[in-house]
Amino acid sequence: MTTPTTDLSPAPAERRSWLRDHSELGVCVLLLMLGVLVLTDALTMDVDIAQRGPVGPKTVPVVVGAGLLVVAALLAVDVVRGGRGQAETGEDVDLSEPADWRTVLLLTGVFLGSAVLIEPLGFPVAGALLFWGAAFALGSRRFDRDPLIAAVVSLVAYTVFNNLLGVPLPGGPLMGVL
Amino acid sequence: MNALTSLMDGFGTALTPINLLWAAIGVLLGTAIGVLPGIGPAMAVALLLPVTYGLDPIGAFIMFAGIYYGAMFGGSTTSILLNTPGESAAVVAAMEGNPMAKSGRGAQALAAAAIGHFAGGMIGTVLLVALAPAVAELAVDIGAPDYLAIMVLAFIAVTSVLGSSRIRGLASLLIGLTIGLVGLDQMTGQQRLTFGSLQLADGIDVVIVAVGLFAIGEALWVAAHLRRRPPEPIPVGRPWLGRDDVRRTWKSWARGPFIGFPFGAIPAGGAEIPTFLSYVTEKRLSKHKDEWGKGAIEGVAGPESAASASAAGTLVSMLTLGLPTTAVAAVMLAAFQQYGIQPGPLLFEREPDLVWGLIASLFVGMVLLLALNLPLAPVWAKLLHIPRPYLYAGILFFAAIGAYAVGGEVIDLVTLLIIGLIGFGMRRYGLPVLPAIIAVILGPAAEQQLRRALQISDGSVSGLVNTPFSVTVYAIIVLLLAWPLLKKVVTRRRAEH
Amino acid sequence: MHHVAHVTRPHRALRDPQTIDRQVVAFVRLRTPLALLGAAVLVLVGPPLLTTGSGTETGTQIPGLRFMVPNTPGGGYDITARTAAKNAEDAGLTHNIEVFNLPGAGGTVGLSRLVSEHGNGKLAMSMGLGVVGAVRSNDAPKTLADTTPVARLTEEQDVVVVARNSPYKTIDDLIGAWKENPGKVPVGGGSSPGGPDHLAPMLMARAAGIAPKQVNYIPFDGGGELLASILGNKVGFGVSGVGEYLDQIKAGELRLLAVTGPERVPGLDAPTLQEAGYDVNFTNWRGIVAPPGLTDAERDQLIALIEELHDSEEWRASMKQNGWDDAFLTGEEFGDFLDAEDKRVVSVLKELGL
Repeated sequence: MTTPTTDLSPAPAERRSWLRDHSELGVCVLLLMLGVLVLTDALTMDVDIAQRGPVGPKTVPVVVGAGLLVVAALLAVDVVRGGRGQAETGEDVDLSEPADWRTVLLLTGVFLGSAVLIEPLGFPVAGALLFWGAAFALGSRRFDRDPLIAAVVSLVAYTVFNNLLGVPLPGGPLMGVL
Repeated sequence: MNALTSLMDGFGTALTPINLLWAAIGVLLGTAIGVLPGIGPAMAVALLLPVTYGLDPIGAFIMFAGIYYGAMFGGSTTSILLNTPGESAAVVAAMEGNPMAKSGRGAQALAAAAIGHFAGGMIGTVLLVALAPAVAELAVDIGAPDYLAIMVLAFIAVTSVLGSSRIRGLASLLIGLTIGLVGLDQMTGQQRLTFGSLQLADGIDVVIVAVGLFAIGEALWVAAHLRRRPPEPIPVGRPWLGRDDVRRTWKSWARGPFIGFPFGAIPAGGAEIPTFLSYVTEKRLSKHKDEWGKGAIEGVAGPESAASASAAGTLVSMLTLGLPTTAVAAVMLAAFQQYGIQPGPLLFEREPDLVWGLIASLFVGMVLLLALNLPLAPVWAKLLHIPRPYLYAGILFFAAIGAYAVGGEVIDLVTLLIIGLIGFGMRRYGLPVLPAIIAVILGPAAEQQLRRALQISDGSVSGLVNTPFSVTVYAIIVLLLAWPLLKKVVTRRRAEH
Repeated sequence: MHHVAHVTRPHRALRDPQTIDRQVVAFVRLRTPLALLGAAVLVLVGPPLLTTGSGTETGTQIPGLRFMVPNTPGGGYDITARTAAKNAEDAGLTHNIEVFNLPGAGGTVGLSRLVSEHGNGKLAMSMGLGVVGAVRSNDAPKTLADTTPVARLTEEQDVVVVARNSPYKTIDDLIGAWKENPGKVPVGGGSSPGGPDHLAPMLMARAAGIAPKQVNYIPFDGGGELLASILGNKVGFGVSGVGEYLDQIKAGELRLLAVTGPERVPGLDAPTLQEAGYDVNFTNWRGIVAPPGLTDAERDQLIALIEELHDSEEWRASMKQNGWDDAFLTGEEFGDFLDAEDKRVVSVLKELGL
């Protein structure tokens, strides 16, 4: 909790750090929005079928939506009172340093980009880009090795799925040309 | 005919060199394909259907049985090592198995899973031989109110996995329930949370949710906090189960089948709910409660044993009633029909050689599976020695190919990423992932059974408690809930005396 | 990067060290582009070389033909497609037809995909009455009118069944009780609302003078789960495909009250609904459609392949095994039939308010 200060100048900084300390309130906002979304969806659903008994297609969504609102409120109270969720620890996780948002954004971008490229460029190309891009984002800088590894992994996976198992994957722009 | 003599005849069929070979090939292929992401046992059996076309029916079904069990085991391998479950029954294996693998006990986790599959399959198949007709009759008597009662019990059990902060556990549970709502309403076909998208009409597959929350969420989380100093290699540890491990797990192996088998046999059963119930049971009974979530070996052994036994249970309903209770059973049923054989009440009379040969080959397949996978466990576990960037890049790659290969839709990858980002946020703010996944499994099932029960009773609420089975389950629930209170009263009385 | 120099060091003594160093540096510089080039070649040229599109396009041979199944493995369309593919290969009509599943929303996800593959002559989708219903009940953007109709292959009557120990001995018993209190006689079916097992009891209700909205229909996940509920008397009666329950009926576990089609099923002792005085004529059917925008030649080739398949020994044997009735209809005629079915489905669903 912050203590009110008489000096005005550090107030914005302080407010920012209060928000940073209570960034978990963002989770409450998200839960609240999700609850509103679920409730709106449920209440705008037009049910034109003879319903038997007290439970129809709207009932469960209404219960879940209301539950989300209640939990959002309770969590907000908990956070303001000083409760904090324990960030997950793990072998490869170092919580002593602040989160590296660049890597996360890079990974997300690589994943999305590859997903979009599957149809035009084929799975082997998109898959290789995904593998290489992810390895790059995670700190691997072997430009003379990584692309080859990525290409081989992607091509082998493609062959196993497409040729051996008969699960069709798009092959790329050269299919049918060669 | 006496079941035992028939079974002996069955072994005569199954142990011919050629059928032994088919069983071995089936187990190998099943494991190899089950390991692949996105390809669960149902898909594996469907894909390998053409391989068996040249065989006689007995050889083909012996091979199928091998594929089925092999694929189930293969699914848990990726679940344990890479946190990417290949199918819904393997989701639970990731919960304790992956932390074990991370702390260098991957080989033990795999061994516990392999022996669990063996034990579950063996006990399950013995139950199949002994109880098939009785179980089949019972399965028919289980109706919507009974399922609902079991689901309520399962939801009560969820409270024990909510984690240290109840409110955050509940938030996670509700997120899962919301994801479970997406799709067409099963009873009336109303669109719920689909925003008009047909791709969302069948809901979001629990495997996509699990892979997103586990694998993608974790890869992103690790990316944000990757240790900058050179990582210590994951310790290899002993490749085999120690005496201590066995002492902790043998009871779990033995308990699993009695949870898994009945669920496999009943029409809406499957393997997800029993694996979860087994997990919760093991957690309750464990003497090492502090290890849960960080790699408790019982949490791998019990559920895997339950999953394998539920596969045996599935065969009971399929062979005796012609009732496919899971997707795999539906595919196998189709395969039976390819050979002009109709599983069902007349099967045991019409095709005794085939049925008993198949049952005997289940035992054979189980032995082969264990013999194959136990030595391989340490080899698989070496997978984790790959440098971190490649390891996590590989997890992302295989998660993506798994999600894409199933339907060939780019939107599935986008869904996967969004769920991955949710998983990332949940890790950041200490929301446990487990309740969300369980809610995705249980929520829609519970709603469906609730509404089905009400429809059968034409809207009367008494329809929820009009069977002896459901009343019994609710009584158990009341006892469980009242137990802490009763205990307090009893101890206070004692203190007064 | 030092390891490269390390590897080449043994040669150093042999030549002038400076030129060697320059070569090494040049090689090191080249390694990244080389790796990139190698990777690009692998992923671009690999797939076409690995996938041998061998076989020539003569007669019924359509190299690289794929069947899409718009529901999950083990379902009705899946079995039809896989059986047809296998029979066509066995009969030597074409090589290796690839079957793949794209399930979702009662088949409409697969349908959208098919329609988007405009002009693809190497793709076909197995489908049936269920897809017609799903298009309407889901308000799908693409309908079967957007496809190229190839052929209707099989049809199957629905059966009205109850458990052995059910109080309803005849179809009149059942409909009498049903009319009296539709809510108390829940109907189980193996398909979601809009599907064949839903339409059949609705048509029955209409013929018996029950408002379809009064019908207490309970959908189950396929015939298997439904079977348990019928056997356990959880539902008043069940409606599903005849092939699904043939064995249980023969074993006496299920009592067959009526069949929904125009003729009795040989070997089964039950009247048609029409014989019993209820004007219902309902058969479920399955067929094959192709993407829009095919050339006439492409369409005719697909139809020729299916015609050859239909005439083959292998297909006849499969139909007998699966209990399917022949309902062969190709091209335009099949297209007209699709239109008629669509209109029928729309009229039923409108009454239901779906």
